Amino acid sequence: MSTPRSAGPVACFLDQLHPLPKLIVCLIWLVAAIMVFDARFQAITIILAAVALMLFSRFSVWLVLGLMVPFALFGAGFLTTSILFRDGSDFADKMAAEAPFVSEGVSAGIVLFLRAIACGMVSALFTLTTDPGDLVKALMKNWRLSPRIGYALFSALNLVPDLASEAQQIRLARAMKRGRLPRRIPGLAEGFSLMLPLLAFAIRRASRAAIAMEARGLSRDGPRTILGAPVLARRDGVFAALALALLAVALVQVWLFR
Amino acid sequence: MPGALPAPDQGCVAAWRGVTVRYPHQPRDAVGPVTLDLAPGEHLLLLGPSGAGKSTLLDTLTGLVPNVIPAALDGGITALGSDPASRTPAGWSRDIARHFQDADQTLCGMRVEDEIAFALENQGLDPGAIQERVAAAMRQVGINAAWRERRTTTLSGGERQLVALAATLAQASRVLLVDEPTSHLAPLAAGRLHHLLMTRAPGRSVLIVDHRLDGLITAIDRVAVLGRDGRIMVEGQPAALFRSHAAELDAAGVWRPLASQIDTALAAMGVAPPRPPANIADVMTHLTALDRTGQTRARQALEPLVAAALPSGPGPEPGARTVAARLCGADCAPFLGPVVLRNVDLTIMRGEILGILGANGAGKSTLGLSLAGLLRLKAGSRDGAAGGVAFQNPESQFVSGSVREEVEAALAAPGSKARPGAVETVLAGWGLGHAASQHPFELSHGQKRRLALATLTAGGRWPLLVLDEPMAGLDAASAASLAARIEALAAEGHAIALITHDMDLALRLCRRSVVVGEGGIMADAATTDVMADPALLARAGLAPPVFKPVLDWFGEAAP
Amino acid sequence: MTTSEPTSYAWTQREILIVAVLGAVFAVLYLGWVQVWLVAQAFFGPVTMDVVMGFWFIVSIIAAAIIRKPGAALFSEMLAAGIQILLGSPAGLILLLTGFVQGAGAEAVFAATRWKRYSLPVLIAAGIGAAVFSFIYTWFRFNYGALAPGLLVLMFTLRCLSGALLAGVLGHLVVEALYKTGVLSGLPIDHARRAARA
Ligand SMILES: Nc1ncnc2c1ncn2[C@@H]1O[C@H](COP(=O)(O)OP(=O)(O)OP(=O)(O)O)[C@@H](O)[C@H]1O
Ligand SMILES: Nc1ncnc2c1ncn2[C@@H]1O[C@H](COP(=O)(O)OP(=O)(O)OP(=O)(O)O)[C@@H](O)[C@H]1O
Ligand SMILES: [Mg+2]
Ligand SMILES: [Mg+2]
Repeated sequence: MSTPRSAGPVACFLDQLHPLPKLIVCLIWLVAAIMVFDARFQAITIILAAVALMLFSRFSVWLVLGLMVPFALFGAGFLTTSILFRDGSDFADKMAAEAPFVSEGVSAGIVLFLRAIACGMVSALFTLTTDPGDLVKALMKNWRLSPRIGYALFSALNLVPDLASEAQQIRLARAMKRGRLPRRIPGLAEGFSLMLPLLAFAIRRASRAAIAMEARGLSRDGPRTILGAPVLARRDGVFAALALALLAVALVQVWLFR
Repeated sequence: MPGALPAPDQGCVAAWRGVTVRYPHQPRDAVGPVTLDLAPGEHLLLLGPSGAGKSTLLDTLTGLVPNVIPAALDGGITALGSDPASRTPAGWSRDIARHFQDADQTLCGMRVEDEIAFALENQGLDPGAIQERVAAAMRQVGINAAWRERRTTTLSGGERQLVALAATLAQASRVLLVDEPTSHLAPLAAGRLHHLLMTRAPGRSVLIVDHRLDGLITAIDRVAVLGRDGRIMVEGQPAALFRSHAAELDAAGVWRPLASQIDTALAAMGVAPPRPPANIADVMTHLTALDRTGQTRARQALEPLVAAALPSGPGPEPGARTVAARLCGADCAPFLGPVVLRNVDLTIMRGEILGILGANGAGKSTLGLSLAGLLRLKAGSRDGAAGGVAFQNPESQFVSGSVREEVEAALAAPGSKARPGAVETVLAGWGLGHAASQHPFELSHGQKRRLALATLTAGGRWPLLVLDEPMAGLDAASAASLAARIEALAAEGHAIALITHDMDLALRLCRRSVVVGEGGIMADAATTDVMADPALLARAGLAPPVFKPVLDWFGEAAP
Repeated sequence: MTTSEPTSYAWTQREILIVAVLGAVFAVLYLGWVQVWLVAQAFFGPVTMDVVMGFWFIVSIIAAAIIRKPGAALFSEMLAAGIQILLGSPAGLILLLTGFVQGAGAEAVFAATRWKRYSLPVLIAAGIGAAVFSFIYTWFRFNYGALAPGLLVLMFTLRCLSGALLAGVLGHLVVEALYKTGVLSGLPIDHARRAARA
């Protein structure tokens, strides 16, 4: 989730954008993906997101394809339901019915399948190219998020990648008590048995961070400097204009050929 | 109770008057009643056995206890002339910087530069000034500029402590409360940091708690010693106090600087220097100035100390030894981290105590875990039985809900050779008897360390033990008993790898040491040879043992 | 004698942080649960959603039982939703609304007790509250009006049961287990228990 800042400027165009305009553009696109119930639009969204990740960030083709797997799995759930249970509760058709712009002819299941991937890719595009620290700083600076909440959010986002190494630490301590190396990847039973210690770890770490933050002067009142908050630049305007123009083109083309 | 005590001097930076703290649902007070002052510009060293309440006392000054950490507080406290309750703990941070004993407690898990800037941002300084102070603090402390973007959770134990120190120093506050700032630092870094913390700045007062006294004492104005009962036992000028109260301090299990231990030995033979020595240099000046009879008496006086400073007994016979574990051409990497050590060949024998030395971030912990077979090697192979590891952070060891359960679980583990009823013996042996019902995470730092070591060594089931900085945070009494235990375990045929920053300890316990650094093993030799190679030590970020000059003198002055 | 008392409804930094990390941890678990749901759904059909739904309310129950302040249930659930989106949840933006509705359902039950009672029956009720709110929400979202009444009754019952068990009872068990680990000491749940014992 972190951003390598050392790579070249073009390769990291997405990573260098201000998080907030990027967030807004992604949100608008997500709304469109949910409203427009059309297979072509979803496909365009997926392709654009994938191309953007490959050209303007540090992702290889394989990485991007790999990214799609979980979203595709999720979407496949809709696909199978709509095929298997066509006359059951017509889940997919119900989903289709909620969208204002529906094009006929294509199975609703396929649209749902593609939509899951599309939404996933847009979310991934934002998450993978945005440093959580930058996002929280931008939220505090531009949207006046309270620093107490901002830093809580920041800690929570930072916690996610640390869960893996903490889980490994717990597994080591346990493995030691048993006297053999832990398996490379925890099995299902072991995974469940790790949940509670991890939760306890998370709460303990939060309690500690609270003491650390308070001892170092984080409070609700008083002016606070926000160092290194991202600043808006021309490229943000370029990105927003380009992305929204592409969105308009995609929408119009779907509208014309419905 | 407070009415009976004299009102604190308004000029004091910090004053405690009959202060007691009791944590919720504990049968006894954690501290006190303590009466103590910190004068403006003063450097005060607070000593005391582990669990005496030093950290708790520091927490009361800015109201962390009881506002953030719940506890019942009694007595009068004045911070910079006012009641701690007159500001929030956050409000005090502007004037009083708190450095916690556990680096993870000072840091919040952000990137290094954000971490150092955090307190300054909270003060609302302007960005340019913050940038400058962050850069200056990183330079002073010796933090590699390449770490700026790294999360503190991916640093080694000592590197984290350095970042925490940089964050404390960057605050440039009037009052510094520092709790064991150098416990995980390699000798050179520790020396530099002590110097930084103790440089006099106009109007800056420092209250420091530390177990690493050599090199610190000369910069201290006054020492106060907190006794086991939670009260101040003695206070006074350091060198004089260590001379006049030597026996009491030893009985309480409090560290004394090596110079003071030598002083006591010399005094017993009537050849003590007229003025108590503050450091080894003072001792050496005195020794070399002695006349012939004086030198002979001094040699007699120092003989036991010299004997204790080197491994005792002949050691296991080379022929009878079997390999406990062996790494062949191993590439070692921390979990989710890059390879830090390449092509390591290392063998550890049963009955051997092997020292693992090196600078911070050299890869000692990684090597220790790999040697014990707990980390997968990126290349090469390992053979030998699985080993037990006392992790650098003792908290990683705990899996149970109370101290007693933790020990019970260790004793009940398969392979343990413990007898029933051993729980009480173990608890008492490690001085954890009265803390038995506490939660492991509510212990003092030294108590955590002791509990971790107790659970690991209790059953005697590990043929190979890796101890990662076992002495960090221990008081003198626990350190002495741990050293004795380590020797006993080795004598029983266990192999022990000892990762330490204490060169005197390495010299005393380990016949052989490896020096880790520069991406591999820099030396694998007899510890005496390693310590006699100043070039190697400097390259590895190490320093010769404090006792070294005396040892050399002892050797040269041989009749 | 100064003792820290359980204070008013103002949140301490520690409580804010704890709700935030709970949101993060459960966001990860929720994403894992999505996979469980999908696999089960492939075998058992669409009604599966109602059976597994309860687990997606659990963080609000846990957070409320620990923090015991207005907003804990709602914020934790919304946060979990938000972080799921950031982690790349396949459901996308709409998840925020879902989280809001589910959190509000649990919060409504706690509000009815004036944020004073957190016994097992109350937690179960909160789980059911979340289930009811989410059922109403999905009614509109998926146009349940068109479904057969019998199926609807079945779905509603299953969802309430799921809320009661997977959120209420399981949440209660998790909180109890966490309490035993000692990490909750000094939090409102701890104050309440100790006051009750004294
Ligand atoms: N949160 C807590 N809850 C209950 N007891 C505690 C808590 N924190 C500390 N204690 C107890 O209070 C006593 C004093 O602890 P403190 O950490 O102040 O000791 P210390 O002098 O700093 O020791 P060390 O040198 O080992 O760090 C110890 O007996 C410890 O077990
Ligand atoms: N997860 C990680 N990602 C990247 N680098 C890591 C990670 N964990 C450790 N490192 C790096 O690996 C190196 C070796 O770490 P290790 O903990 O073995 O050092 P050490 O010699 O034990 O140091 P110390 O004396 O400070 O404890 C350090 O430079 C550290 O920054
Ligand atoms: Mg302490
Ligand atoms: Mg280490």
